[in-house]
Amino acid sequence: MVTLDVRPQLLETLSALRDRVAAARFPLPLAEAPRARANRDELLAQLDDYLLPRLREPDAPLLAVVGGSTGAGKSTLVNSLVGRRVSEAGVLRPTTRTPVLVCHPEDHHWFSDARVLPDLSRVWVPHQEGADDLLSSGEEQARALRIETADTVPRGLALLDAPDIDSLIADNRVLAAELLCAADVWVMVTTAARYADAVPWHLLRTAKEYDVTLVTVLDRVPHQVVSEVSRQYGALLTKAGLGDVPRFTVPELPESVWGAGLLPSTAVAALRTWLVHHAQDTGARRQVTARTAHGLLDSLKARTTELANAAAAQYAAALRLTSAVDGAYDGEHARVRSRLQSGAVLAGDALKRWRAFPLDCTAGELLDALVESLGALLLCSVMAADERVDDSWRRDPAAATPQLAGHGPSPESAEHRIGLAVRRWRRELEEYAEDEVRGLERSTAPDPEAVAALVATVLLGGRRARTAGEGLAQRIGAHGALRLRDRAGRLLTDHVDRVMHAERERRLAPLDALGVTAEPQVELIAALSVLQKER
Amino acid sequence: MTAVTDHDHTDHKHHMSHDNPIDSTGSVDPPGAMDSAQDPSGSRGAVPAGTGVPAGGRRPHGAGGGADDADTAAGASGDTRGGTEAGTTAGTTAGETAVAKAEAMAAERHARVPEERRTGEPARVPEAGGQKERHGLGRAPEASGGEERHARVPEDRRNGEPARVRGAGGETERQARARETAGQDGRGARVPGAAGDQERPARGPEADAEKTWQAPARSAGAEAGRRPSARPEDAEAPGAGRDTDPDGESGEAWDDGLIARRVTESNAAALAAERAIALDTPARGPGGHAPAPLAYDGALRSRLDALRELVGLSRTRVDSRTLSEAGRVLDEAAARRKLSGRHTVVAIAGATGSGKSQLFNTLAGVAISETGVRRPTTAAPIACSWSDGAASLIDRLGIPGRLRRRPLHSAEADGHLRGLVLIDLPDHDSAAVEHREQVDRILKLVDAVIWVVDPEKYADAMLHERYLRPMAGHAEVMFVVLNQIDRLPGEAADQVLDDLRRLLDEDGVALGEYGEPGATVLALSALTGEGVGDLRDALGHFVAERGAAARRVGADVDAAAAQLRPVYSTGRPVGLSEEAREDFADRLADAVGATAAGEAAERAWLRNANRACGTPWLRLWRWYQKRGGSTTGRLQVRAAQPDEEATARQGVEQAVRKVADHASAGLPAPWALAVREAAVRGSQGLSEALDELAGRAGLPPGRPPRPGWWPVAVLVQASMTLLQVVGGLWLAGQIAGVMAPNLGVPVLLMICGIVGGPLVEWGCRMAARGPARRYGMDAERRLREAAASCGRARVLDPVAAELLRYREVREQYARVVRTGAGVG
Repeated sequence: MVTLDVRPQLLETLSALRDRVAAARFPLPLAEAPRARANRDELLAQLDDYLLPRLREPDAPLLAVVGGSTGAGKSTLVNSLVGRRVSEAGVLRPTTRTPVLVCHPEDHHWFSDARVLPDLSRVWVPHQEGADDLLSSGEEQARALRIETADTVPRGLALLDAPDIDSLIADNRVLAAELLCAADVWVMVTTAARYADAVPWHLLRTAKEYDVTLVTVLDRVPHQVVSEVSRQYGALLTKAGLGDVPRFTVPELPESVWGAGLLPSTAVAALRTWLVHHAQDTGARRQVTARTAHGLLDSLKARTTELANAAAAQYAAALRLTSAVDGAYDGEHARVRSRLQSGAVLAGDALKRWRAFPLDCTAGELLDALVESLGALLLCSVMAADERVDDSWRRDPAAATPQLAGHGPSPESAEHRIGLAVRRWRRELEEYAEDEVRGLERSTAPDPEAVAALVATVLLGGRRARTAGEGLAQRIGAHGALRLRDRAGRLLTDHVDRVMHAERERRLAPLDALGVTAEPQVELIAALSVLQKER
Repeated sequence: MTAVTDHDHTDHKHHMSHDNPIDSTGSVDPPGAMDSAQDPSGSRGAVPAGTGVPAGGRRPHGAGGGADDADTAAGASGDTRGGTEAGTTAGTTAGETAVAKAEAMAAERHARVPEERRTGEPARVPEAGGQKERHGLGRAPEASGGEERHARVPEDRRNGEPARVRGAGGETERQARARETAGQDGRGARVPGAAGDQERPARGPEADAEKTWQAPARSAGAEAGRRPSARPEDAEAPGAGRDTDPDGESGEAWDDGLIARRVTESNAAALAAERAIALDTPARGPGGHAPAPLAYDGALRSRLDALRELVGLSRTRVDSRTLSEAGRVLDEAAARRKLSGRHTVVAIAGATGSGKSQLFNTLAGVAISETGVRRPTTAAPIACSWSDGAASLIDRLGIPGRLRRRPLHSAEADGHLRGLVLIDLPDHDSAAVEHREQVDRILKLVDAVIWVVDPEKYADAMLHERYLRPMAGHAEVMFVVLNQIDRLPGEAADQVLDDLRRLLDEDGVALGEYGEPGATVLALSALTGEGVGDLRDALGHFVAERGAAARRVGADVDAAAAQLRPVYSTGRPVGLSEEAREDFADRLADAVGATAAGEAAERAWLRNANRACGTPWLRLWRWYQKRGGSTTGRLQVRAAQPDEEATARQGVEQAVRKVADHASAGLPAPWALAVREAAVRGSQGLSEALDELAGRAGLPPGRPPRPGWWPVAVLVQASMTLLQVVGGLWLAGQIAGVMAPNLGVPVLLMICGIVGGPLVEWGCRMAARGPARRYGMDAERRLREAAASCGRARVLDPVAAELLRYREVREQYARVVRTGAGVG
């Protein structure tokens, strides 16, 4: 027989794994992401609410969570097991909105602190004799757990009445799943009308997968058909590989009709006996806890791997998106370079200015036109790159998240940034020209602005601006012209590179902000392998 | 063979009519007697076939109404009973004689006939007997009234005719002849548009007044007449009603002669008549009779047309996945329209164990659908038709023949629920996935749905999230029934019902309370029968209205339109604003360099003007300077360069991008993409065109214009120079002593010339500013306009066309969306 003994190393590695699981994020809306998120939450809940507390304190009372579909009679069942109305039962669905935990008064301390279910705030209602209205005293807190104590509950056992697993209220569904994760014993309640429903069967299959200690209760069986329904249900369970699960049948009695009262104790005696036995008999109890805990530990491998795979898929998708951006910007960057080479900047206004240059156009005007044209070229490339990114992201489901859709840099601000960059380049170019002119020993120093304009024309005009080179050489000498040209050319390349890089970074920023990295996968697998070694 | 259908009173009527020839010639004559009895009333109309036939052709519809009346009004009287029996015997005999094919099943059915007759007939018999065969005859092809009756007619006819031919030897030729004429007439008969309901009964008699033997002939004629008219769409009703088809079908499907199964056999045959009528009605125009078969009212039809148009217009723009739902709705609407409008297909859906089958059985009055504690119980949908002629409808649902049933006939049920086709669906929430698939498939095809919920499951997430919320728009064709209230104590039932209403309200399902259109919510117990009457009443009203199919289609169109909304509407204004156009033109002008060109032209002109009007000395100095710096000849060098890529490519690209952005702002994604594509496509070659254009339109042709004062200025300047020269010479002459010393005048002259020259130059420069500016502006404007027109032709126009197309589509969409329409 498997037993549980506390091993600090195991706890440590489990905690490490838990932290890794908690750190895993699946922000990209891939097809498997919602599932991975749910798995992660569930795994986290199971680790936090069940496995770690249970391993730390194997002597804590058994927690039996009563779960099932809406209207299955969970609350009535719990009330009947306890022997008084601790949980609200009624005809209107969903009935149980705040989960109720019932335990023996002396076990109360186990549940009042944050040992299990730390997320839920505790509402403790001390038992008041004959107070029927205590049912209404449950505050409408968002996520709360009401703790009831009753002498009739044996020591070492706590019953938890969970909300519906398929509730119309999504929060309830989540809460129910979380509560089930905290259970030593899953008590699955279904009814004669429901035993073939899909939802409970999913849950049963999950229970089987995790190999938890499972009990099923077939509730509300009209007594005329008890044997037939019970047999059918048994057959279905056997077919699902759950034939050995303890099965209890509770007939539909007038008392059970829609929570009008409690079922007679005889109706639930078998279930109660089973629960009491497993809570109080040391061997049985150990077996119960060990089975669930080991089942969970065993399931960790597959589930952690699944999470790691999902994390890897996220990373792959992020890489894909990044490479789309990189590709687009690289392509555009190359285009900018070739356009610069071919002198595309010296066109339109700038070309007209250049044609009119010394006579009908001042150097300042020429420089203005060139700078503007350069800015237009850069802006055009950036926007084309953005368009290409948008296009390829639109086809990628991973980019369909709002954080990525509304990409931060608006075109206006890109225009602004590029304008700033090219103006700075102009200023620096003028400084270079002044340096160069100052260094000349000629008496008639040429106008530095004209020199700057000529250099700019030479750099941006390609073949078309050959004469500008001649003019430049004439003004500041061939050496000076060459030097100035080289310096200014490097400056131009720097600025262009910087602009393209900055825009690319800006485009990638929202993706980077999602923080999808390769680490979670690696760390999950590492933590898992450490855990495997530890066991 | 005929006998097969005989179980029904209707059949009897038909039989009587059809088989009358046989009867009259062969043996029995109660029908004949009746005919003659009837004759007087109608004898005035005992018209020659030509006129009479229209009546015959028409009659079917009206007669149906009359028959119905008869149904309800006439009690079972002795003579009618007699008539019926006679009819039956006639039918059977006819059948027996006729059925050369005489399948064994026929015999079986005969065996059943009496029993069935007992249940269903009493009420109808009267009319059959008392009202004469004309009803039967009239009803045969008819579309309204008791569907079983006329639904069966074709088959009867089918059976009857051979019988006639074979059995009543001598009559054959006559009948054949009669049929021919009748056929022709029938064809003509259709033409004369709508005849009032009242006319028909009146005409009925006249038809009856014709010889009995003509009756079958006429029905055949009516049938024959109808066919041609139906032909265009005949493909949909392939061969139904023809002799062979149904026989074959019935032969294989209806072997066992179970009560519940017999019905469909004739249904298949009835198809032809039914469809013919269904198709006829629209052809007859809006004047058709009220109980027209399924014809969507004008509003719905125009919405459907608009949707079809919309889908057609959008095909190239919107991906087919988005349009598939609309396409499906259209297909279903078209398919439904071709089928019976007298039937309302209602599905019973619900969770496993909520009592769908129980309710189904309760409504049918027979244990048709298996019920039990075993879950899930019902694995395949079962259909139950309250009247004939629904076979094609059920075919559409893909329910095989063996799963079609008939309800237990009870007078009350018949009156109420005639036209109802009830479908018992499997559950939608059990572990058996294929059940859910079936439910999903059939729910798309039925006219209305009864959702059965029980107190235990009424708040199931699956029901609400998967079905009720998405189908909230179908509230008008939705019943929500809280079953098993017998399991609830006291007022708990009301509480649960209220809670159910609340949940439905939260789902967005409109509740049909206080006369508002919406879902009907009822509480009942199928087990004890409590509340079932209410449902029956509600269903009865619902079915009698015959609006369900159209409403369902209307709701489908609504849903499809809502789903398409993001594709057609963003709620933002669209269009290319004047600013955007201007901005585009400006950007293009920049790309071409219009501003710079203008300024350059202005300055050049000014420079030239200055040179022309400047003092010669200045000109001399400039010339000297130019000579000195010989390398400054770049102006000429540059001008000699070819103008390759004079247009800024990036500027053009950016301009197109901007204008595309503007134009596509506020457009739904597919249309925005189309606009962008149009813009980009148009912009190809735009730069080259602009290059070429800039070369052509760069400067105003010819020499720059000169203002009128120019020569004067030149003259004045020249005279100033002359003054200087003259003054100088004078002074020089005095110095040389050639001339008399008179300093004052020459100095004055010189000063005049020296001061006046620059003064004139300055004055000219000032005066030249205006013309220079005009010249520059002109140059700029020419370039700008050329660029703008080029851009307009290549980019703006395609974009505007695309926008126009979008606007068109949106109008179409608005036509589809138009709320409140389509329910009739």
